Amino acid sequence: MQNLITSRLNSLTYKGIPVWRHAQVIQWTAQIVSGVVVVALVAWFFTNIANAISDRDIPFGFDFLGREYQTPIGQHFLPYESSDSFLYALVVGATNTIFVSVIGVILATALGIFIGISRLSGNWLVSKIALVYIEFFRNVPLLVQLFFWFYIVLALPTVREGYNLADIVYLNNAGLYIPMVTGNGVAQGFVWAASVVVAIAAGVLVQKRMARREEQTGSTSYPVMSGIGAAVIVGLVGWFVITAINGGFPLTLTTPEPQGAFGRFQRGEGFELSGGMMALLIGLVMYTSSFIAEIVRAGIQSVGKGQTEASRSLGLSALGTIRSVTFPQALRVIVPPTISQYLNLTKNSSLAAAIGYTDLTNVAKTMTQTAPALSIFVLIMAAYLAMSLTYSLIGNIYNRRISF
Amino acid sequence: MSTNTNKGPAPILPPPLLNRGMVGWAHDNLFSSWYNSLLTVASGALVIVTLWWGLGWILLDADWTVISTLGGFLAIGEYNTEKACAGQNCFWRPQVSLLLVMVLVGMAWGIAQGGTARRIAVLAAIVLAAFAFLPYSFERMGMDIRLLLAANIPAVGIGWYLGKHTRMGSVRNVVFSGIAVFVIILLLLRGLPGIPGFEPVSVIYWGGMMLNLLLAVAGIVLSLPIGIALALGRRSRLPVVKALCVAFIEVFRGVPLITLLFMSSVLVPLAFPEDFPLNRLFRAGIIITLFSAAYMAENVRGGLQALHPGQAEAGRALGLPSWQTMTFISLPQAIRNVIPAIVGQFISLFKDTTLVTIIGMLDILEFGRSFIQSYVVDGKVVFLDDQEELLIFIALCFWVFTYGMSYVSRKVEKHLGVGER
Repeated sequence: MQNLITSRLNSLTYKGIPVWRHAQVIQWTAQIVSGVVVVALVAWFFTNIANAISDRDIPFGFDFLGREYQTPIGQHFLPYESSDSFLYALVVGATNTIFVSVIGVILATALGIFIGISRLSGNWLVSKIALVYIEFFRNVPLLVQLFFWFYIVLALPTVREGYNLADIVYLNNAGLYIPMVTGNGVAQGFVWAASVVVAIAAGVLVQKRMARREEQTGSTSYPVMSGIGAAVIVGLVGWFVITAINGGFPLTLTTPEPQGAFGRFQRGEGFELSGGMMALLIGLVMYTSSFIAEIVRAGIQSVGKGQTEASRSLGLSALGTIRSVTFPQALRVIVPPTISQYLNLTKNSSLAAAIGYTDLTNVAKTMTQTAPALSIFVLIMAAYLAMSLTYSLIGNIYNRRISF
Repeated sequence: MSTNTNKGPAPILPPPLLNRGMVGWAHDNLFSSWYNSLLTVASGALVIVTLWWGLGWILLDADWTVISTLGGFLAIGEYNTEKACAGQNCFWRPQVSLLLVMVLVGMAWGIAQGGTARRIAVLAAIVLAAFAFLPYSFERMGMDIRLLLAANIPAVGIGWYLGKHTRMGSVRNVVFSGIAVFVIILLLLRGLPGIPGFEPVSVIYWGGMMLNLLLAVAGIVLSLPIGIALALGRRSRLPVVKALCVAFIEVFRGVPLITLLFMSSVLVPLAFPEDFPLNRLFRAGIIITLFSAAYMAENVRGGLQALHPGQAEAGRALGLPSWQTMTFISLPQAIRNVIPAIVGQFISLFKDTTLVTIIGMLDILEFGRSFIQSYVVDGKVVFLDDQEELLIFIALCFWVFTYGMSYVSRKVEKHLGVGER
């Protein structure tokens, strides 16, 4: 009996090899089994969810998106009324997230490069200060830091007794108020923005031409300087033409002005950085910059010393060596992990839910009280996935450009 | 026209001064040029102002009573309160767990060659034992608690003896006892119904630093193998397996952890049948582990990609089947090369355990914050408003652990000779 089974099994061959030893058979079995297991598991989850939705009266569906949200949103950069729809409220929340991430990315990059270079400084004291900064902010949970900054902001003086710098910058426990450039009428603002784009394009064009001329003829032509010059000239001409046509400047500077008995600030005058947003920005920037600083340090150190020596012996100046030899090579190491830090910053901005800045997650969390939680979280997960895919796309494009 | 430039042999100069003392050091490192001097003065002023202001605040203005008022609650949350374990005294369970962990640390010291394990074991034992001498009244901190804290020193000693002089002293045995200890600790903290004095304590009341550490340890132990499996799946030639792994990794990496945690409290209970035993702690633990595993997979994949294909080819040429080539040749080298990234992920997982705050679990951060307004101590309601002091203290608690982890990782890297061969 035993022999019979063994011989039958042995006769089951594929290309002359018993089936359970054939690599292709094993691989296909493994794939089919794992695929079936995962599909079965997912199907089981979905059946359970579907059952729960029907049996336990769990609300689900996307009809709510068209309804009026009827809940105020603390700080917003798009115009928003309580009568706007759920969908629009989500868009407002997403704009807040994007806004805070973009400002945070810019500040964190600047601070991170500064600290990273300080870490490499020949000056012992500067290097050690940078080390303490990095080791502290990198190793403490972001949420603890955010709470800390939030309480610092809350502990600032009240609106009436707040700090005031030359009547244009105000700092108090409601936030930071700074002057802001706004379009003098939407149409004129757009026209001016268009002329800025034209000016920058002209500058880039001139810089490219001059750089090519320098390469071909060898005569010094100052490409960067002439590019900037061209851009400024074109921009100024555009500014004066618009002013002459409209009889007024296209942009105006508005300053925040305290009004009324409590000294509150009017919306639309100057720029308001609410307390929660300020704490979120400070926390995100300090936390992320400590990571970026380490990336920058590692990137600069990764460029071999021989590179610098070779370029110096070729006759390049110290600055020229950094600009055209060290930095381009360091950038290759620095940029990919930095982009993933940008993504982390964007995702970490969702911690705003804990300190009362109305980002996407916070808006969604509030919405769950009046709309199906399940649908809302599916939506915001899709939104965050879209953001992270955008970052990966940028990273991939860069990687393709720098690869040898 | 010839001019004689030969003025005889040049005088023999003394060798350059190698050790020039403090002044020479300061000249080289602080005042080597005018802008360096300027930098030194500016940053020195910054340091002095910060220290002056900071120390002044720490010593004079800050009110540190908040930490002593909360005391043991920061460590174990409400675990030992009347509502958590009614009619019994539960303080000994976390403390015995701690003793078991210290025995393990002692064993690591016993078998390790270097001084790092010894330094950490001795320091941890002394610090923990020092807590026994906190100036609390005996009503708030009984003699039994103090004795169990002081027992950490003999616990390390026992562990050291086990590791050094008995057959327990091998890495394999320490790993196995570590797993056993983790299970025992979970059992100890959970309790068993029907045994007087050992009644179950609901996980709702597990809190404080204990909760952060439990989540972190479980996450670290589980996320590494899951991450390795995902990384191998992503590199596999089988299209179905690869697609599944890529989808998992990208979804978990692309979404903030807090959104996933919200999902864990909304969607996960629905995805299982209604009577499925799945509590909040378990759900949060699973989500944190999977989130971390996705990142871990990318780190391990980076290590595998950086490995020269000649290594795997040599393994195959020696006649090893592909799974043995992977287990004994590729993976050990790949993981050794990405130790900093992996430990960085461990650290970030430990920091991320604070996010359970957002789904309402009482970890050290949430505990401190939610009870900051008013809390009953010895029958009296105490009001506190010292948020900054508490947050700084919590930050320091985390910093000690995270810095310790990166310190150990640097030592391990040195021991394994990363970047030297």
